Amino acid sequence: METLYQLVELFPYAILGSILAGVICSFLGIFIVSQRVVFLGAVLTQVAIAGVAFSFLHIIHIETFIANILGVSIQENNFLQNFEPIFYSLLFAILTVIVFSQTHHQKYLTQDGILGIIFVVAIAVRIMFIQKSPIADIAEVESILKGDILFISQKEFIILALILIFTLSVFTIFRKQLQFVTFDAESASAHGINSKVWLLIFYIIVGTGISLTTRFVGDVFAFAYLIIPSSIGILISKKVKNVFLISVLVGAIVPPISIYFAFKFDFSSGPTAVVTAFLLFLIVFIIKKLRG
Amino acid sequence: MNKEIIKFTDASIGYGKTVVASGINISIAENDFVGIVGPNGAGKTTLLKSLLGNIKLINGNLSKDQIRFGYVPQRDTVQPLLPYTVFDVVMMGRYSLSGSLKKISSEDKRIVEESLAYIGMSDLKDKNYNSLSGGQRQRTLIARALAVEPTVLILDEPTNGMDTPSHYSLLDLITKLHNEKKLTIFLVSHLLTDVANIVKKIILIDKNYFQFGEVEEILSETNLRNTYSSDFHISLVDGEYVITPIHLKKN
Repeated sequence: METLYQLVELFPYAILGSILAGVICSFLGIFIVSQRVVFLGAVLTQVAIAGVAFSFLHIIHIETFIANILGVSIQENNFLQNFEPIFYSLLFAILTVIVFSQTHHQKYLTQDGILGIIFVVAIAVRIMFIQKSPIADIAEVESILKGDILFISQKEFIILALILIFTLSVFTIFRKQLQFVTFDAESASAHGINSKVWLLIFYIIVGTGISLTTRFVGDVFAFAYLIIPSSIGILISKKVKNVFLISVLVGAIVPPISIYFAFKFDFSSGPTAVVTAFLLFLIVFIIKKLRG
Repeated sequence: MNKEIIKFTDASIGYGKTVVASGINISIAENDFVGIVGPNGAGKTTLLKSLLGNIKLINGNLSKDQIRFGYVPQRDTVQPLLPYTVFDVVMMGRYSLSGSLKKISSEDKRIVEESLAYIGMSDLKDKNYNSLSGGQRQRTLIARALAVEPTVLILDEPTNGMDTPSHYSLLDLITKLHNEKKLTIFLVSHLLTDVANIVKKIILIDKNYFQFGEVEEILSETNLRNTYSSDFHISLVDGEYVITPIHLKKN
């Protein structure tokens, strides 16, 4: 109990932020998994990190540009401080999903092939950006790039909450269109729904959610929570509504529990959250298999 | 003479600047029943997409009356991982007709129930779509197209990979839809005998070849040779066409 009190006292936003990040990833993950574009999740996490690495080069000072437009000082504005990493990770991710959404009907390469190319290029340019970064310690840069659940601040918690509200709002308001195009884009087009536009909107939301979440909780956590909770939901549920309910519950409950274990047994929080979710998946899978 | 609702004039279809088929002249009237046949890659799907307005014509003109399309894709292209019920799938047909903020109405539900009843799937409405047989899935997709309350129904290879009873049962259903609901139907199929026996008009399409007209007028061994670059034998048995590839006949 004492460990729990210490944890809540020391890292309140880490606990709350992990719940929000888990919910965002597990919710988006249902669409990623059901669209059979799981690799897109892995690619977006790497692209987002490459975006953050790019921001360290300080080639274009977006923060200064926005501060000038708004007439505010960067030093006095909490939001504008560290705005560049968020901006570039989002920009890189959105550019990636725009390119990806246009690849559905081309016949030269498979979508997996295209994602594979983006994946390795993202990792390669990240390394190159880091090498040219003014920050000397590469290990330090890598740790900044990859985020950590335990260091989620109040500001990051608020951003995660905004991403969650935005994602849920868009998927609630445009549920019909997004459900139809992700189920059967060809028929949706034939029935008058502009599948190209709606798929683009879908991928932009996914790109936004994944890139920002990766920035705060790390690529391993983000990718794992895109796949594992939704896979558990799909394994257990017989109704679509229940897939969402179970996935989101797993995404919300497992991260804070795993932070507790990580804290108690002195493990890194991200990997512990992944392993805990995997163990739950394994139990569910075995029970499902035994029940036939 | 029924009212003309669709007209292609000197049309070339394709993707970007790549022409898949050209010289297309088609005039479709209300309650027409049209079969589209041709070899793989001939442009059947491209023609459908042009008709639906999903791709632009490269050349020529397409005029359409105020028509609403119901589309039945090849069922292999619809393989959801999520456990959608038959009712959920058919309800999607209503999504294109109502605004984003509008809730699913009792009218929507009634139309979905009616569509399911018409194709004989009411008992299976709560079943998982993935657990259905091929024939049941195809019927579900037809019900979804009917839920759109279409004037034109387009079916893309609806009997592909089906066992014989399901195959003929589905062809009966399509004929019934044409006769009872007075729908204009486009049926894409590679099964020549099927198409020739149930449709009224036929489109023969290949890269550099296009024919359209009444079945009796278009269906000839010469036209089939020009379309498929293979020889066929056409015979009439008990008033029904039997179309056999010549090499099969020799065997």
